[in-house]
Amino acid sequence: MSGLAPRSRRALGRELTRLAQASVAESLAHSAQRPEPSMETARIGFTGAPGAGKSTLISRLARLRLAACRDQGGVAILGIDPTSPLTGGSILGDRIRMDAIANEPELYIRSLASRSSNDGLADNVLDLLVTVESYGFREVLLETVGVGQAEHAIRHSVDTLVMVLQPNAGDAIQAMKSGVLELADIYVINKADLPGAKKSASEIRGIVQRSQAAWRAPVIEISQQHGEGLAKLDSAISEHLAWQAEHRNASETLRRRRHYHVQSLIVRRVAELLDHRPQLLDTTNLAESYAEILQLLASDAKRYSRQEETGW
Amino acid sequence: MSLKGKRILIAKPGLDGHDVGAKVIALALRDAGADVIYTGLRKSSAYIAKVAVDEDVDVVGLSMLSGSHMALVSDTIRCLEEYDASDIKIFVGGTIPEKDRAALIEAGVCGVFTADMPLEDVIRAIERELS
Ligand SMILES: Nc1nc2c(ncn2[C@@H]2O[C@H](COP(=O)(O)OP(=O)(O)O)[C@@H](O)[C@H]2O)c(=O)[nH]1
Ligand SMILES: [Mg+2]
Repeated sequence: MSGLAPRSRRALGRELTRLAQASVAESLAHSAQRPEPSMETARIGFTGAPGAGKSTLISRLARLRLAACRDQGGVAILGIDPTSPLTGGSILGDRIRMDAIANEPELYIRSLASRSSNDGLADNVLDLLVTVESYGFREVLLETVGVGQAEHAIRHSVDTLVMVLQPNAGDAIQAMKSGVLELADIYVINKADLPGAKKSASEIRGIVQRSQAAWRAPVIEISQQHGEGLAKLDSAISEHLAWQAEHRNASETLRRRRHYHVQSLIVRRVAELLDHRPQLLDTTNLAESYAEILQLLASDAKRYSRQEETGW
Repeated sequence: MSLKGKRILIAKPGLDGHDVGAKVIALALRDAGADVIYTGLRKSSAYIAKVAVDEDVDVVGLSMLSGSHMALVSDTIRCLEEYDASDIKIFVGGTIPEKDRAALIEAGVCGVFTADMPLEDVIRAIERELS
Protein backbone atom coordinates (compact mmCIF):
# COMPACT_ATOMS: atom_id res chain seq x y z
CA MET A 1 0.00 0.00 0.00
CA SER A 2 1.36 3.40 -0.98
CA GLY A 3 0.78 6.72 0.72
CA LEU A 4 -0.09 7.23 4.36
CA ALA A 5 -1.59 4.27 6.19
CA PRO A 6 -5.25 4.73 7.15
CA ARG A 7 -4.44 5.19 10.82
CA SER A 8 -1.71 7.72 10.11
CA ARG A 9 -4.19 9.75 8.08
CA ARG A 10 -6.53 9.69 11.04
CA ALA A 11 -3.76 10.72 13.43
CA LEU A 12 -2.54 13.54 11.19
CA GLY A 13 -6.07 14.82 10.67
CA ARG A 14 -6.70 14.96 14.41
CA GLU A 15 -3.39 16.56 15.25
CA LEU A 16 -4.04 19.33 12.73
CA THR A 17 -7.48 20.07 14.16
CA ARG A 18 -6.09 20.29 17.67
CA LEU A 19 -3.32 22.64 16.59
CA ALA A 20 -5.52 24.76 14.34
CA GLN A 21 -7.83 25.43 17.28
CA ALA A 22 -5.12 25.83 19.92
CA SER A 23 -5.04 29.02 21.99
CA VAL A 24 -1.78 30.90 22.35
CA ALA A 25 -1.07 29.13 25.66
CA GLU A 26 -1.78 25.70 24.13
CA SER A 27 0.34 26.49 21.12
CA LEU A 28 3.27 27.46 23.34
CA ALA A 29 2.86 24.34 25.44
CA HIS A 30 2.94 22.29 22.28
CA SER A 31 6.04 24.05 20.96
CA ALA A 32 8.05 22.65 23.86
CA GLN A 33 7.52 19.07 22.62
CA ARG A 34 7.52 19.69 18.91
CA PRO A 35 10.25 18.24 16.67
CA GLU A 36 12.74 20.68 15.17
CA PRO A 37 11.62 21.91 11.76
CA SER A 38 13.75 19.93 9.33
CA MET A 39 13.56 22.14 6.22
CA GLU A 40 13.64 18.93 4.19
CA THR A 41 10.10 19.44 2.95
CA ALA A 42 9.76 22.11 0.27
CA ARG A 43 7.04 24.65 1.06
CA ILE A 44 5.43 26.26 -1.95
CA GLY A 45 2.96 29.08 -1.27
CA PHE A 46 0.27 30.46 -3.58
CA THR A 47 -1.24 33.86 -3.10
CA GLY A 48 -3.49 36.10 -5.18
CA ALA A 49 -7.01 37.52 -5.03
CA PRO A 50 -10.00 35.26 -4.34
CA GLY A 51 -11.22 33.85 -7.65
CA ALA A 52 -7.83 34.21 -9.36
CA GLY A 53 -7.80 30.45 -9.88
CA LYS A 54 -5.35 29.37 -7.18
CA SER A 55 -7.14 26.17 -6.15
CA THR A 56 -7.69 25.07 -9.74
CA LEU A 57 -4.04 25.73 -10.52
CA ILE A 58 -2.75 23.94 -7.42
CA SER A 59 -4.82 20.90 -8.31
CA ARG A 60 -3.33 20.66 -11.80
CA LEU A 61 0.16 21.41 -10.59
CA ALA A 62 -0.04 18.88 -7.76
CA ARG A 63 -0.42 16.10 -10.29
CA LEU A 64 2.96 17.03 -11.82
CA ARG A 65 4.69 17.59 -8.47
CA LEU A 66 3.35 14.27 -7.22
CA ALA A 67 4.57 12.38 -10.29
CA ALA A 68 8.10 13.51 -9.42
CA CYS A 69 8.03 12.64 -5.72
CA ARG A 70 5.55 9.81 -5.31
CA ASP A 71 8.18 7.56 -3.72
CA GLN A 72 9.66 10.30 -1.55
CA GLY A 73 6.69 10.99 0.67
CA GLY A 74 4.27 12.60 -1.75
CA VAL A 75 2.53 15.96 -1.52
CA ALA A 76 0.31 17.67 1.03
CA ILE A 77 -1.96 20.60 0.21
CA LEU A 78 -3.17 23.04 2.87
CA GLY A 79 -5.95 25.29 1.57
CA ILE A 80 -7.03 28.23 3.71
CA ASP A 81 -10.43 29.91 3.32
CA PRO A 82 -11.79 32.88 5.25
CA THR A 83 -13.74 32.61 8.48
CA SER A 84 -16.82 34.81 8.55
CA PRO A 85 -16.25 37.53 11.15
CA LEU A 86 -20.02 37.62 11.77
CA THR A 87 -20.81 33.95 12.42
CA GLY A 88 -17.38 32.38 12.97
CA GLY A 89 -18.27 29.81 10.31
CA SER A 90 -16.75 29.13 6.91
CA ILE A 91 -17.24 27.33 3.64
CA LEU A 92 -13.94 25.59 2.93
CA GLY A 93 -14.17 25.59 -0.86
CA ASP A 94 -10.62 24.95 -2.08
CA ARG A 95 -10.94 21.17 -2.03
CA ILE A 96 -13.83 21.02 -4.44
CA ARG A 97 -11.56 22.41 -7.18
CA MET A 98 -9.12 19.60 -6.46
CA ASP A 99 -11.52 16.80 -7.23
CA ALA A 100 -9.53 15.42 -10.13
CA ILE A 101 -6.52 14.52 -7.97
CA ALA A 102 -8.18 13.82 -4.65
CA ASN A 103 -8.05 10.04 -5.09
CA GLU A 104 -4.25 9.92 -5.28
CA PRO A 105 -3.02 7.86 -2.33
CA GLU A 106 0.22 9.85 -1.90
CA LEU A 107 -1.67 13.11 -1.66
CA TYR A 108 -3.10 14.66 1.50
CA ILE A 109 -5.50 17.59 1.19
CA ARG A 110 -6.53 19.56 4.22
CA SER A 111 -8.87 22.58 4.33
CA LEU A 112 -8.37 25.20 7.03
CA ALA A 113 -10.36 28.18 8.21
CA SER A 114 -8.44 31.42 8.76
CA ARG A 115 -10.05 31.80 12.23
CA SER A 116 -8.68 34.92 13.93
CA SER A 117 -5.84 35.48 11.44
CA ASN A 118 -6.32 38.35 9.07
CA ASP A 119 -3.01 38.03 7.26
CA GLY A 120 -4.29 35.52 4.69
CA LEU A 121 -3.04 32.53 6.70
CA ALA A 122 -4.60 30.58 9.57
CA ASP A 123 -3.99 30.54 13.33
CA ASN A 124 -0.87 28.53 14.20
CA VAL A 125 -0.06 27.98 10.55
CA LEU A 126 3.65 27.43 11.20
CA ASP A 127 2.83 24.68 13.70
CA LEU A 128 0.49 23.12 11.15
CA LEU A 129 3.21 23.14 8.51
CA VAL A 130 5.78 21.53 10.81
CA THR A 131 3.27 18.86 11.80
CA VAL A 132 2.41 17.99 8.20
CA GLU A 133 6.12 17.88 7.42
CA SER A 134 6.75 15.47 10.30
CA TYR A 135 4.64 12.92 8.37
CA GLY A 136 7.32 12.84 5.69
CA PHE A 137 5.77 14.66 2.75
CA ARG A 138 8.28 15.80 0.16
CA GLU A 139 6.39 18.99 -0.63
CA VAL A 140 3.65 21.10 0.90
CA LEU A 141 1.53 23.42 -1.24
CA LEU A 142 -0.07 26.21 0.80
CA GLU A 143 -2.97 28.31 -0.52
CA THR A 144 -3.71 31.62 1.23
CA VAL A 145 -6.98 33.47 1.52
CA GLY A 146 -5.37 36.05 -0.74
CA VAL A 147 -6.53 39.34 0.68
CA GLY A 148 -4.74 42.59 1.33
CA GLN A 149 -1.39 42.11 2.96
CA ALA A 150 -1.38 38.33 2.68
CA GLU A 151 1.93 38.42 0.85
CA HIS A 152 4.08 39.40 3.80
CA ALA A 153 2.90 36.65 6.12
CA ILE A 154 3.17 33.88 3.57
CA ARG A 155 6.53 35.18 2.30
CA HIS A 156 8.04 34.33 5.65
CA SER A 157 6.33 30.95 5.89
CA VAL A 158 7.31 29.30 2.60
CA ASP A 159 10.37 28.58 0.44
CA THR A 160 8.89 29.46 -2.94
CA LEU A 161 6.08 31.98 -3.33
CA VAL A 162 3.88 31.97 -6.43
CA MET A 163 1.65 35.00 -7.05
CA VAL A 164 -1.43 34.18 -9.13
CA LEU A 165 -2.89 37.13 -11.06
CA GLN A 166 -5.78 37.43 -13.49
CA PRO A 167 -5.67 39.28 -16.81
CA ASN A 168 -6.47 42.97 -16.34
CA ALA A 169 -5.58 42.79 -12.66
CA GLY A 170 -5.13 46.56 -12.72
CA ASP A 171 -5.05 46.97 -8.94
CA ALA A 172 -2.39 44.34 -8.48
CA ILE A 173 -0.25 45.89 -11.21
CA GLN A 174 -0.55 49.33 -9.64
CA ALA A 175 0.43 47.83 -6.31
CA MET A 176 3.44 46.16 -7.86
CA LYS A 177 4.54 49.40 -9.48
CA SER A 178 4.57 51.01 -6.07
CA GLY A 179 6.71 48.17 -4.78
CA VAL A 180 4.40 46.53 -2.26
CA LEU A 181 3.82 43.31 -4.14
CA GLU A 182 7.34 42.54 -5.23
CA LEU A 183 7.69 39.62 -2.91
CA ALA A 184 6.93 36.64 -5.09
CA ASP A 185 9.47 34.30 -6.68
CA ILE A 186 7.22 33.40 -9.60
CA TYR A 187 4.33 35.32 -11.18
CA VAL A 188 1.49 33.53 -12.94
CA ILE A 189 -0.90 35.31 -15.26
CA ASN A 190 -3.72 32.83 -14.89
CA LYS A 191 -6.79 32.43 -17.13
CA ALA A 192 -4.60 33.31 -20.10
CA ASP A 193 -7.52 32.23 -22.27
CA LEU A 194 -9.23 35.50 -21.33
CA PRO A 195 -8.54 38.78 -23.16
CA GLY A 196 -5.87 41.04 -21.70
CA ALA A 197 -3.51 38.29 -20.54
CA LYS A 198 -0.64 39.22 -22.90
CA LYS A 199 -0.80 42.86 -21.90
CA SER A 200 -0.85 42.08 -18.17
CA ALA A 201 2.04 39.65 -18.59
CA SER A 202 4.21 42.19 -20.37
CA GLU A 203 3.42 44.89 -17.79
CA ILE A 204 4.47 42.59 -14.99
CA ARG A 205 7.58 41.50 -16.87
CA GLY A 206 8.47 45.17 -17.17
CA ILE A 207 8.22 45.62 -13.42
CA VAL A 208 10.04 42.42 -12.53
CA GLN A 209 12.91 43.15 -14.90
CA ARG A 210 13.69 46.35 -13.04
CA SER A 211 14.01 44.45 -9.77
CA GLN A 212 17.45 44.31 -8.13
CA ALA A 213 16.83 40.90 -6.55
CA ALA A 214 19.34 38.13 -7.26
CA TRP A 215 16.60 35.76 -8.38
CA ARG A 216 14.95 36.88 -11.62
CA ALA A 217 11.26 36.07 -11.08
CA PRO A 218 9.71 34.48 -14.18
CA VAL A 219 6.27 35.60 -15.41
CA ILE A 220 4.28 32.66 -16.78
CA GLU A 221 0.98 32.69 -18.66
CA ILE A 222 -1.26 29.75 -17.83
CA SER A 223 -4.76 28.67 -18.67
CA GLN A 224 -6.87 25.79 -17.57
CA GLN A 225 -7.46 24.91 -21.23
CA HIS A 226 -3.81 24.42 -22.21
CA GLY A 227 -0.99 22.46 -20.65
CA GLU A 228 2.12 24.37 -21.73
CA GLY A 229 2.21 27.12 -19.12
CA LEU A 230 1.66 24.58 -16.39
CA ALA A 231 4.80 22.62 -17.32
CA LYS A 232 6.75 25.91 -17.26
CA LEU A 233 5.47 26.68 -13.79
CA ASP A 234 6.40 23.18 -12.63
CA SER A 235 9.99 23.60 -13.79
CA ALA A 236 10.23 27.20 -12.54
CA ILE A 237 9.32 25.97 -9.05
CA SER A 238 11.94 23.23 -9.17
CA GLU A 239 14.52 25.73 -10.41
CA HIS A 240 13.71 28.20 -7.68
CA LEU A 241 13.92 25.54 -4.98
CA ALA A 242 17.31 24.43 -6.30
CA TRP A 243 18.56 28.02 -6.61
CA GLN A 244 17.45 28.72 -3.08
CA ALA A 245 19.05 25.61 -1.63
CA GLU A 246 22.32 26.96 -2.97
CA HIS A 247 21.94 30.63 -2.11
CA ARG A 248 19.98 30.98 1.02
CA ASN A 249 21.16 31.18 4.55
CA ALA A 250 19.14 28.55 6.40
CA SER A 251 19.55 30.11 9.82
CA GLU A 252 18.42 33.47 8.48
CA THR A 253 15.30 31.80 7.03
CA LEU A 254 14.52 30.17 10.37
CA ARG A 255 15.01 33.54 12.07
CA ARG A 256 12.51 35.21 9.77
CA ARG A 257 10.02 32.42 10.42
CA ARG A 258 10.47 32.82 14.11
CA HIS A 259 10.00 36.56 13.80
CA TYR A 260 6.62 36.01 12.12
CA HIS A 261 5.73 33.27 14.59
CA VAL A 262 6.44 35.27 17.74
CA GLN A 263 4.78 38.36 16.35
CA SER A 264 1.59 36.54 15.39
CA LEU A 265 1.38 34.84 18.79
CA ILE A 266 1.62 38.18 20.57
CA VAL A 267 -0.96 39.83 18.34
CA ARG A 268 -3.30 36.93 18.94
CA ARG A 269 -2.65 36.93 22.68
CA VAL A 270 -3.65 40.58 22.88
CA ALA A 271 -6.85 39.76 20.95
CA GLU A 272 -7.56 36.89 23.37
CA LEU A 273 -7.13 39.20 26.37
CA LEU A 274 -9.45 41.80 24.89
CA ASP A 275 -12.03 39.14 24.02
CA HIS A 276 -12.04 37.75 27.54
CA ARG A 277 -11.88 41.10 29.31
CA PRO A 278 -13.63 43.79 27.30
CA GLN A 279 -13.48 45.97 30.41
CA LEU A 280 -9.82 46.57 29.56
CA LEU A 281 -11.17 49.11 27.09
CA ASP A 282 -13.35 50.91 29.65
CA THR A 283 -10.60 53.29 30.64
CA THR A 284 -10.41 57.04 30.44
CA ASN A 285 -7.50 57.09 28.05
CA LEU A 286 -5.73 54.98 25.50
CA ALA A 287 -2.46 54.84 27.40
CA GLU A 288 -4.23 53.33 30.39
CA SER A 289 -5.75 50.47 28.32
CA TYR A 290 -2.36 49.91 26.76
CA ALA A 291 -0.62 49.77 30.14
CA GLU A 292 -3.16 47.31 31.54
CA ILE A 293 -2.70 44.99 28.59
CA LEU A 294 1.06 45.16 29.01
CA GLN A 295 0.67 44.24 32.64
CA LEU A 296 -1.34 41.15 31.74
CA LEU A 297 1.26 40.23 29.14
CA ALA A 298 3.93 40.63 31.80
CA SER A 299 2.20 38.10 34.01
CA ASP A 300 2.11 35.73 31.01
CA ALA A 301 5.80 36.38 30.60
CA LYS A 302 6.59 35.14 34.10
CA ARG A 303 4.93 31.90 33.20
CA TYR A 304 6.80 31.41 29.90
CA SER A 305 10.27 32.71 30.65
CA ARG A 306 11.08 29.55 32.59
CA GLN A 307 10.28 27.29 29.64
CA GLU A 308 13.04 25.73 27.63
CA GLU A 309 14.08 27.38 24.41
CA THR A 310 12.95 25.33 21.43
CA GLY A 311 14.18 25.02 17.87
CA TRP A 312 12.28 28.01 16.47
CA MET B 1 -25.51 26.92 21.40
CA SER B 2 -23.49 27.15 18.26
CA LEU B 3 -21.56 24.94 15.89
CA LYS B 4 -18.48 27.12 16.25
CA GLY B 5 -15.27 25.13 15.82
CA LYS B 6 -17.15 22.08 14.50
CA ARG B 7 -16.09 20.65 11.15
CA ILE B 8 -18.80 19.22 8.91
CA LEU B 9 -18.58 17.40 5.58
CA ILE B 10 -21.61 17.55 3.29
CA ALA B 11 -21.31 14.62 0.91
CA LYS B 12 -23.26 13.51 -2.15
CA PRO B 13 -22.96 9.76 -2.66
CA GLY B 14 -24.98 7.95 -5.30
CA LEU B 15 -25.91 8.92 -8.80
CA ASP B 16 -28.40 11.73 -8.53
CA GLY B 17 -27.21 15.05 -9.91
CA HIS B 18 -29.03 17.55 -7.71
CA ASP B 19 -27.22 19.42 -5.00
CA VAL B 20 -29.37 22.46 -4.34
CA GLY B 21 -30.51 20.97 -1.02
CA ALA B 22 -26.95 20.05 -0.04
CA LYS B 23 -25.77 23.60 -0.73
CA VAL B 24 -28.62 25.15 1.26
CA ILE B 25 -27.68 23.00 4.25
CA ALA B 26 -23.99 23.85 3.85
CA LEU B 27 -24.72 27.59 4.02
CA ALA B 28 -27.06 27.19 7.01
CA LEU B 29 -24.37 25.25 8.88
CA ARG B 30 -21.78 27.91 8.09
CA ASP B 31 -24.16 30.57 9.40
CA ALA B 32 -24.49 28.52 12.58
CA GLY B 33 -20.70 28.81 12.99
CA ALA B 34 -19.43 25.53 11.52
CA ASP B 35 -16.53 25.02 9.10
CA VAL B 36 -18.19 23.29 6.15
CA ILE B 37 -16.67 21.24 3.34
CA TYR B 38 -18.66 19.98 0.37
CA THR B 39 -17.55 16.97 -1.69
CA GLY B 40 -19.34 17.68 -4.96
CA LEU B 41 -21.59 15.20 -6.77
CA ARG B 42 -21.49 11.42 -7.18
CA LYS B 43 -18.84 10.36 -4.71
CA SER B 44 -18.07 6.80 -3.65
CA SER B 45 -18.32 5.77 0.00
CA ALA B 46 -14.58 5.10 0.06
CA TYR B 47 -13.90 8.61 -1.18
CA ILE B 48 -16.28 10.21 1.33
CA ALA B 49 -14.67 8.33 4.22
CA LYS B 50 -11.19 9.35 3.13
CA VAL B 51 -12.16 13.01 2.89
CA ALA B 52 -13.91 12.84 6.28
CA VAL B 53 -10.73 11.43 7.85
CA ASP B 54 -8.24 13.74 6.09
CA GLU B 55 -10.38 16.74 7.02
CA ASP B 56 -11.03 15.36 10.52
CA VAL B 57 -14.69 16.31 10.49
CA ASP B 58 -17.03 15.82 13.45
CA VAL B 59 -19.99 15.09 11.22
CA VAL B 60 -20.69 13.69 7.75
CA GLY B 61 -24.02 14.72 6.27
CA LEU B 62 -25.00 12.36 3.44
CA SER B 63 -27.40 14.00 1.04
CA MET B 64 -29.25 11.39 -1.01
CA LEU B 65 -32.06 11.52 -3.50
CA SER B 66 -31.32 8.35 -5.42
CA GLY B 67 -33.10 5.67 -3.41
CA SER B 68 -30.09 3.46 -2.68
CA HIS B 69 -29.57 5.06 0.73
CA MET B 70 -29.46 1.84 2.76
CA ALA B 71 -26.48 0.43 0.84
CA LEU B 72 -24.68 3.78 0.65
CA VAL B 73 -24.99 4.36 4.37
CA SER B 74 -23.72 0.95 5.40
CA ASP B 75 -20.83 1.25 2.90
CA THR B 76 -19.84 4.61 4.33
CA ILE B 77 -19.94 3.28 7.89
CA ARG B 78 -17.77 0.32 6.91
CA CYS B 79 -15.24 2.56 5.14
CA LEU B 80 -14.98 4.83 8.19
CA GLU B 81 -14.26 1.76 10.34
CA GLU B 82 -11.23 1.01 8.19
CA TYR B 83 -9.77 4.33 9.28
CA ASP B 84 -10.64 3.69 12.90
CA ALA B 85 -13.02 6.61 12.56
CA SER B 86 -16.35 5.21 13.70
CA ASP B 87 -16.71 8.13 16.09
CA ILE B 88 -17.45 10.48 13.17
CA LYS B 89 -21.20 11.04 13.32
CA ILE B 90 -23.38 10.42 10.29
CA PHE B 91 -26.56 12.26 9.44
CA VAL B 92 -28.70 11.57 6.41
CA GLY B 93 -30.85 14.00 4.45
CA GLY B 94 -32.90 13.93 1.27
CA THR B 95 -35.80 11.81 0.11
CA ILE B 96 -35.88 8.99 2.64
CA PRO B 97 -39.14 7.06 2.93
CA GLU B 98 -40.66 6.92 6.41
CA LYS B 99 -40.31 3.13 6.49
CA ASP B 100 -36.52 3.21 6.11
CA ARG B 101 -35.75 5.69 8.86
CA ALA B 102 -35.69 3.27 11.75
CA ALA B 103 -33.39 0.93 9.82
CA LEU B 104 -30.97 3.80 9.12
CA ILE B 105 -30.85 4.71 12.81
CA GLU B 106 -30.36 1.03 13.58
CA ALA B 107 -27.41 0.95 11.16
CA GLY B 108 -25.71 3.76 13.11
CA VAL B 109 -27.02 7.01 11.65
CA CYS B 110 -27.53 9.78 14.25
CA GLY B 111 -30.46 11.46 12.53
CA VAL B 112 -32.52 11.53 9.36
CA PHE B 113 -33.64 14.87 7.94
CA THR B 114 -36.29 15.33 5.29
CA ALA B 115 -36.67 18.24 2.90
CA ASP B 116 -39.71 19.62 4.74
CA MET B 117 -37.83 19.98 8.03
CA PRO B 118 -37.04 23.56 9.07
CA LEU B 119 -33.32 24.33 8.88
CA GLU B 120 -33.27 25.47 12.53
CA ASP B 121 -34.43 22.00 13.59
CA VAL B 122 -31.69 20.36 11.54
CA ILE B 123 -29.06 22.58 13.12
CA ARG B 124 -30.43 22.09 16.61
CA ALA B 125 -30.38 18.30 16.17
CA ILE B 126 -26.73 18.38 15.06
CA GLU B 127 -25.77 20.70 17.93
CA ARG B 128 -27.46 18.38 20.39
CA GLU B 129 -25.65 15.34 19.03
CA LEU B 130 -22.27 17.09 19.23
CA SER B 131 -22.65 18.61 22.68
N1 LIG C 1 -11.44 31.18 -17.94
C1 LIG C 1 -10.75 30.54 -16.97
N2 LIG C 1 -11.31 30.35 -15.75
C2 LIG C 1 -10.59 29.70 -14.79
C3 LIG C 1 -9.27 29.24 -15.03
N3 LIG C 1 -8.81 28.67 -13.87
C4 LIG C 1 -9.81 28.77 -12.97
N4 LIG C 1 -10.89 29.40 -13.51
C5 LIG C 1 -12.18 29.69 -12.83
O1 LIG C 1 -12.00 30.70 -11.84
C6 LIG C 1 -12.89 30.50 -10.74
C7 LIG C 1 -12.15 30.55 -9.42
O2 LIG C 1 -11.24 29.46 -9.33
P1 LIG C 1 -10.57 28.99 -7.97
O3 LIG C 1 -9.53 27.99 -8.34
O4 LIG C 1 -11.60 28.58 -6.98
O5 LIG C 1 -9.89 30.37 -7.48
P2 LIG C 1 -9.24 30.74 -6.05
O6 LIG C 1 -10.29 31.48 -5.28
O7 LIG C 1 -8.09 31.64 -6.40
O8 LIG C 1 -8.80 29.47 -5.41
C8 LIG C 1 -13.58 29.17 -11.00
O9 LIG C 1 -14.86 29.42 -11.52
C9 LIG C 1 -12.69 28.50 -12.03
O10 LIG C 1 -13.40 27.61 -12.86
C10 LIG C 1 -8.71 29.44 -16.36
O11 LIG C 1 -7.56 29.08 -16.67
N5 LIG C 1 -9.48 30.10 -17.27
MG1 LIG D 1 -9.23 28.72 -3.48
